[in-house]
Amino acid sequence: MPAAGSPTHQALEDLCDALSKGRGEHARVRYEGSVPFGFAAVSSGGSGAVPEVARFRLGNGLAILLLTDAAAPVLCVQTWFRVGSRHERAGKTGIAHLFEHLMFGETENHEEGELDRLLEEAGAETNAATFLDWTYYHTNLPKDALELVLSLEADRLEHLVLNAPQVAREKEVVMNERRQRVDDDLDGAVSEILYKTAFDVHPYGHPTIGWMEDIQGFVPEDCATFYGTYYAPNNATLVVVGDTTAGVLLPIVQARYGHLAPSELPVEDARPEPPQTSERYVSVEKPTAAVKLALGYRCPALGDADHVPLSLLGEVLFGGASSRAYRRLVRQAEVATEVRGWVGAFAEPALFDCWLSGREGVQASDLLRRFDELIEEVIGGAITEEELEKAKAKLELSTLQGLETIAERAEGVGFYDAVLGEPDAPFRRLAQARRATRSDLLRVARRYLVRHARTVVEVLPQKSGEQAA
Amino acid sequence: MTTVLVETSDALPLVSVAIAFRGGAACDPPGQEGAARLCARMLRRGAGAWSADQIEDRLDLLGGELSASASLSASTLHFEVILRSLEPFADLVATLLAEPRFEPSELGRLCRKTQAEIVESRDSDRSLASRAFRMELFGDHPYGRRIAGSIASLPSIRATDLRRFFQEHYRRDEAVVAVSGPLSVSAAEALAERLLSGLPASAEGRAPTADLVPEPTMKPGKRLVIVEKAERSQTQLVVGSLGTSAHDPDHVPLLVGNTALGGTFTSRLMNEVRVQRGWSYGASSSLSLDRRREAFSMWTAPAEADAGPCLELELRLLSELRRDGVDDDELAFVKGYLVRSHAFDIDTPKKRVLQRLEEKVFDLPEGYFARYLERVGAVTRDETNAAVAKRLPDGDLVVAVVGSHETLEAPLVAAMGGDVTVKRLPIDFE
Repeated sequence: MPAAGSPTHQALEDLCDALSKGRGEHARVRYEGSVPFGFAAVSSGGSGAVPEVARFRLGNGLAILLLTDAAAPVLCVQTWFRVGSRHERAGKTGIAHLFEHLMFGETENHEEGELDRLLEEAGAETNAATFLDWTYYHTNLPKDALELVLSLEADRLEHLVLNAPQVAREKEVVMNERRQRVDDDLDGAVSEILYKTAFDVHPYGHPTIGWMEDIQGFVPEDCATFYGTYYAPNNATLVVVGDTTAGVLLPIVQARYGHLAPSELPVEDARPEPPQTSERYVSVEKPTAAVKLALGYRCPALGDADHVPLSLLGEVLFGGASSRAYRRLVRQAEVATEVRGWVGAFAEPALFDCWLSGREGVQASDLLRRFDELIEEVIGGAITEEELEKAKAKLELSTLQGLETIAERAEGVGFYDAVLGEPDAPFRRLAQARRATRSDLLRVARRYLVRHARTVVEVLPQKSGEQAA
Repeated sequence: MTTVLVETSDALPLVSVAIAFRGGAACDPPGQEGAARLCARMLRRGAGAWSADQIEDRLDLLGGELSASASLSASTLHFEVILRSLEPFADLVATLLAEPRFEPSELGRLCRKTQAEIVESRDSDRSLASRAFRMELFGDHPYGRRIAGSIASLPSIRATDLRRFFQEHYRRDEAVVAVSGPLSVSAAEALAERLLSGLPASAEGRAPTADLVPEPTMKPGKRLVIVEKAERSQTQLVVGSLGTSAHDPDHVPLLVGNTALGGTFTSRLMNEVRVQRGWSYGASSSLSLDRRREAFSMWTAPAEADAGPCLELELRLLSELRRDGVDDDELAFVKGYLVRSHAFDIDTPKKRVLQRLEEKVFDLPEGYFARYLERVGAVTRDETNAAVAKRLPDGDLVVAVVGSHETLEAPLVAAMGGDVTVKRLPIDFE
């Protein structure tokens, strides 16, 4: 049931019919249905007034997801493109991310810097992100800047200028970003080694920011090809959350995007990673005082039925100060300063990556042995009902916390739509978590926490004398 | 009496509560640097009948998150909990405040962990640069100390010291409570009363915490600090001086001037350093805010070979801003940005109530946030230009970098125009 005051589904269909009359094929707009989006969707104590995400689509394939919330006179507009570093090939890694930078540059209608200037003048804040499966552009704006923002978004989707000086300069910026986030950053550098070692075939093995030599090698033609291939209305979803309505939004979208033609998207050429049959172990030295261990177990795709129980298992192992790994390694044995783990949330099978920061003087082998002991206990069935309940409570809390700002909600809608085609997936996942049992956790522990199918990167302190004194 | 601030909202079944006491790391006793933070972190490591492990189990089982930490000027407990668990969660937090155990064995464990965290923080170049900059800028003033303490100071802190710190600073007349979520004002006030019920109203014979920390002063001259670290492909570069106090008559004009310099994506720094030259991924300037005058700083991260030219450029931009000021167009642009983007500082109940908390805890002028838009709107070009000329650094400044002195020192000294006091620090400097 829609929230009080929101239009009925019939009213949205009627609106789309009226807006499509007399319009060209690409500019026609269709209402494709709504899904509940909100905590009350799964909470027994809710008032019943569940917000909804309404989905619309232009004739050229552009999807529009709208979640109305008039609590403050602000909006979040995000454009999600279903292209990320997964779609890159060897020798051209980093193009999706470099291109994200270039999208803030010159267009045929706006000179270099004008996009940022116009947005800031309007009080808007903008940014973008690229990852393995997607790229998205984000703007927080006062509600009266909606038309401006959409005009700028549509403009750079069609009229971007890709010339040599601009590409050269942005490559410099990206190389500096790489130095900051990877080359001079311990976590960044180790994560890159972990994924590169774990994936022989699948493109998840190369870094989203790209290898330095690939970044250096890009020419404007690479960028133009990428732009022409992936930046098309039928490869994009416009997510709008905040103080507006379909009646206000859709005519602007039609006016700005309705003349664009769809493109023919290439068939994806990625190959699945073959099964791993033996542990991979890499050792590197870095200027640091204590050992670190990065471990990558194979994990299922985000849409897999095992993903939720494995995420709960991740909470049992790493979720806060009462988790198994923290209690054992940080608190009791005092061999680590920090432990964390994250079950990859990607379109295809990826890694459950775990990070252990050792204390000064602790040997990597000792840290790993202790970690393996607790994994063995979990595989042996040691998880208690209370641990499962704690994991469920943590997931519920983090789901709620992800709904606080319009930007967080837009990101949730956009991310789950881009990866799963289900903007309401957080609530479906929460419902699935509530049904999970200890048997589910034991099953996924035995299926995924498999030593012969994991990758380990150990970081050792550089020998004294090599480190700056 | 305790100030209780409330923002009622039914948007989510989530309650957020911050309890701030106005004494933080700046009140650490001499030789016991790190005491405020240890004290806050010890609260969840044993209270009343609850052991540390039992507390952590309980917090997680109830679907809540609790942080207890210290900043320079405050010790703060912040929790968020699912509405249905608010009652038992609040009972537990009230117990943590009423009956902290400060057990020596737990203190020893926390002390060793904190020392290990200090060692680990050396992995972050940004954290090293920040620490070196603040230590050089503030010198012996409490704002120059590391909130976590030092490897040497931590073991000297005893459980009795923490108990004393707790008794002096965790008191109701120095507390501010901020509540947001689906609670009425009266329910939130009753909640605050319950949370603080085990604490004394005041500490006999103690001066108000705000009087304990003096104004920092700026040492004259140009100073360069290099933290030696191997294998850097770029350097974290921070440049700055003393900045602003919220009580300065030119405080808001200075905020406006700083926004033009490095506060937006189209600011002078970003445009010149990143857009025109590609020298650094980030380029920004900021004015920190606290009870006393805090730092002004500019941040970039150029490749090692670009560090000298980048610093020279930053100092030229600074001097041009001081000399020529902003013009009418730039002023209008910056003011427009600050006024319109302000909507995102206050678009959730939690943000609104934490802003009010900040005003109280840091003793900002009454109505600092409520009158913010009006004050920004009223700033003139002359006021802005006078503020940047007076407050932004000219000759007296501090530069801190992380990398190798062999490659960095000469170009950075040259960029600063010579006559520079240079200090080299090992990576494990305290």
